[in-house]
Amino acid sequence: MNRRKPQNRLKPVATTSAAAVTPTRANPGLRSWREQHLFSFFSSLGRLAARPWATALTLAVLSVALALPLLFWLLLDNTRGLNSGVEDARAISVFLKPDLKADAVQALAQRLRARADVAAVELKSPEQGLEEFRSQSGFADALKVLHYNPLPAVLIVSPRADTPDTAPALVAELQHEPAVDLVQYDALWRQRLSAILASAQRAAAVLAGLLALAALLVVGNTVRLDIQGRSDEIAVMQLLGANDGFVRRPFLYTGFWYGAFAGVLTLMLVGIVEWILSAPLAQLAASYDHRFGVHGLSLPGMGMVLGASSVLGWLGAWIAASRHIALGQPQ
Amino acid sequence: MIAFDQVCKRYPSGHEALSELSFELAAGEMAFVTGHSGAGKSTLLKLVALLERPSRGQITVGGQNLNRTQRRGIPGVRRGIGMVFQEHRLLLDRSVFDNVALPLVIAGVARDEIGKRVRAALDKVGLLAREQAQPAVLSTGEQQRIGIARAIVTKPPLLIADEPTGNLDPQLSAEIMALFGQFQQVGTTVLIASHDLALIKRMGKRVLVLDHGKLIDDFRPQASA
Repeated sequence: MNRRKPQNRLKPVATTSAAAVTPTRANPGLRSWREQHLFSFFSSLGRLAARPWATALTLAVLSVALALPLLFWLLLDNTRGLNSGVEDARAISVFLKPDLKADAVQALAQRLRARADVAAVELKSPEQGLEEFRSQSGFADALKVLHYNPLPAVLIVSPRADTPDTAPALVAELQHEPAVDLVQYDALWRQRLSAILASAQRAAAVLAGLLALAALLVVGNTVRLDIQGRSDEIAVMQLLGANDGFVRRPFLYTGFWYGAFAGVLTLMLVGIVEWILSAPLAQLAASYDHRFGVHGLSLPGMGMVLGASSVLGWLGAWIAASRHIALGQPQ
Repeated sequence: MIAFDQVCKRYPSGHEALSELSFELAAGEMAFVTGHSGAGKSTLLKLVALLERPSRGQITVGGQNLNRTQRRGIPGVRRGIGMVFQEHRLLLDRSVFDNVALPLVIAGVARDEIGKRVRAALDKVGLLAREQAQPAVLSTGEQQRIGIARAIVTKPPLLIADEPTGNLDPQLSAEIMALFGQFQQVGTTVLIASHDLALIKRMGKRVLVLDHGKLIDDFRPQASA
């Protein structure tokens, strides 16, 4: 009769004998660990497939939550491309009073050229302006009706490149010239556009954060319900000596699958929206002589969406499972 | 194998389930814990398996002081104990084989090894033929035997059972108790909570009698096993 106290009672007696029987196996612990992960990987998939409607509903909520910020971000990314196209529009357009004589215009141009903060001054006479307008705007027929030239003379003033800060001061001074009717500084509206885009980007980031949180909560709550439904099983596993990792594992994989499938669905949703918008956007781009291109999600971008949604699912499940597991054990 | 030293257990409700309980159970020994309902039998077993913590006193199981066992160490302690419950606690959505295999899966035993050991355990309880059955279609006695197979499949040094024959008729109860006696004969320490005094006397093993959480008797009946 064996009355010896086992040296290490944490390890079941038979485990050592099993290892002794098959000494060729490199690392049975690692192997069974891999087997357990593989089992959880597929069995959690099977559990999702066992209740297709509940799963589909969860995935739909998740993918909408993920697609919204993604589409917003795509929109912003495209407008940023538009913005960079006008990056070099630093020139100041100075519209002179319409009744100004040609020699007065010339004199003003000369005076401006002499300034230290002005690099160049280009003079556009009303005739030149009319010609340009006729060729570019497509209003040639309408202009024929006019029997006088309504356009004023315009000075295109380029500030010195190395003094960008002086441009607003220059603009202010130009506005006070008596001969000047209107000063239009392109950089100013470009700054405004940048500011608007920056705000929108910040808003998109906040929105993305909130919706990612929503995705996390959806997965967390779904897994929580799943855990409640299997609480007996969890209790039995804990009685049999399963550690937290073992109990948590199948739920983590469930969360991972939710995230991964929601990611795929999100990409499909974004793809559909892109497809719906592609024809009108292509027309728009064509009308602007293809000065800007419309782009969708790149391949690395898609990979990032899939990765991020999977991580979100995993994380949501981890939070829900860990909470439940901690509740079921004495401290 | 098990040592209780001045152990008290008071539940948050204020009920004192065990008070000043001290006893020792040697390795390879088999003993019964008996007493009326609410005497503290279940609480005693729960303290051994770390399902509850004592309010006061020291508990040592297999040389390990349970008071010093951290939360992370609890699963390890439980893997060294085979547990049998009154209401078997089998997972009804899994086959008999999978139920018995669960402790081995938890312990990280490789798959090809699991099959052999599960069949050996089922053979011991006489239910090898039912390995692919669902637990729900088995009789109460068979379910209890599956529960026992699950408890011994890892060959733990200590086996504890809480009213394992509570739902069984006298003949099945005697069979189950005889099974526990066999495990003791191969060196396993066995501790069983039961209120079936007639059956306990027939077994002729050590008996601890609890009354309102106090140990009032510790004897060994003179009877044939």
